[in-house]
Amino acid sequence: MPQITVEELAALMKKAAGVTVSPQQLQDTPDTGFDVLGVDSLGLLGIVGELENTHGTPMPVDAERCKTPQQFLNLVNSTLMAGA
Amino acid sequence: MSAPHERRAAVTGIGVVAPNGTSTDTFWKATQEGLSVLDRVTREGCEHLPLKVAGEVRGFEPAGTIDERFLVQTDRFTHFALAAADFALEDARLGQADTSGEPYSIGVVTAAGSGGGEFGQRELQQLWGKGSRFVGPYQSIAWFYAASTGQISIRRKFKGPCSVVASDEAGGLDALAHAARAVRRGTDVIVAGSTEAPLAPYSVVCQLGYEELSTGTDPSRAYRPFTDTACGFVPAEGGAMLVVEAETSARERGADVRAYVAGHAATFTGASRWDRSREGLAQAIGQALDEAGCAPEEVDVVFADALGVPEADRAEALALADALGAHGTRVPVTAPKTGIGRGYCAAPVLDTAAAVLAMEHGLIPPTPNVADVCHDLDLVTGRARVAELRTALVLSRGLMGSNSALVLRHSAGQ
Repeated sequence: MPQITVEELAALMKKAAGVTVSPQQLQDTPDTGFDVLGVDSLGLLGIVGELENTHGTPMPVDAERCKTPQQFLNLVNSTLMAGA
Repeated sequence: MSAPHERRAAVTGIGVVAPNGTSTDTFWKATQEGLSVLDRVTREGCEHLPLKVAGEVRGFEPAGTIDERFLVQTDRFTHFALAAADFALEDARLGQADTSGEPYSIGVVTAAGSGGGEFGQRELQQLWGKGSRFVGPYQSIAWFYAASTGQISIRRKFKGPCSVVASDEAGGLDALAHAARAVRRGTDVIVAGSTEAPLAPYSVVCQLGYEELSTGTDPSRAYRPFTDTACGFVPAEGGAMLVVEAETSARERGADVRAYVAGHAATFTGASRWDRSREGLAQAIGQALDEAGCAPEEVDVVFADALGVPEADRAEALALADALGAHGTRVPVTAPKTGIGRGYCAAPVLDTAAAVLAMEHGLIPPTPNVADVCHDLDLVTGRARVAELRTALVLSRGLMGSNSALVLRHSAGQ
């Protein structure tokens, strides 16, 4: 299955949580916390839901508990990899 | 409430987002001119419904001032509240720097009649159209009556007492009284008021069951309380937030005391029992005046509930006579809401904002679209009336049976 890119994550953060962040910023500082970026727990839950609907596959429950974009991308992409 | 040793609750800021103006200045200008902005309902998905006339807030662009993070997770009624709270705090000259030092000294109280209907409808359509996985998580908070209180406090980092009054339309006045009580108990500032957004398809359909709702098609005739052509009320969206502050706190920081919240009382007389609202409203008026230490003759202007249902209008006119005696037929009465519609809990808060502004300007705004009054009332119609106003009485009733009265005193008279 295709991997989630920083571009896709940035777009989802905008759509689901109203947070504007550039893919480049996610690339450069992937360890900046979601809380610092302004994504709260319901926002992250919304991002997980969007991904599940788009990719047609459930995400692990830990996805919505990730603290940073880096953790999130690692977890989600390893899940997609395993499902491929 | 007015005992000298008590902390007096003052109004120090007013923020309005109303059908006739998306700032306090434009609202007051339109209100004192008696402009009617009632118009055909144009909100998407509402055009075919039997409700034809309403007071819509047009030209409101929250994205200019409110962070998108707050906009995506909130309904239109909260967008109004966030904007109105900003305006009120700015009006009171309470910026982030002024409130960040003592976050526990400032709280929020709102009243809500229907919560976030538009947001809720969108998510319910996702639920039944696509499935539960397509419902966004913010549905869990956006529709909720408490959303505006919560989001204002989160966004402005206020940690003082926060609450929501869900007590029917008159809850708008109850929220202001609740704020005054919190101030008297020791909190310096409460941002208090109500905004509503009932003009979305689902919300409109919910209101169609109200027999008091006007389905008139002519905007100039659809909402004419106190006349023999009264045919119900026209709903509205928008509302107002006020800064209710301890007089001592306002004086210390050199802020203007605009008015005092001097007295309040609420009663309950049953849903759509308008004949009984006479007694309920009279009781509320009497107790509110008592609390304010105000004689009936001291009331200089009444902002009426003005439901626009003949039986209810009659009850209100009689309640004024019951509570104020002969003064009840002499005191100027106004109902500026006939020009903007009735915004449920927000309606009496807009009336309170108008009452404070009326006292400041020495001008009673008129009752738009109303000319031929068929009750024994001195209803101000046509154009604004110049008058020295030291005490204003604001009345509100809810369709579910609540009645409230609020007494405001102008600061100059104290």
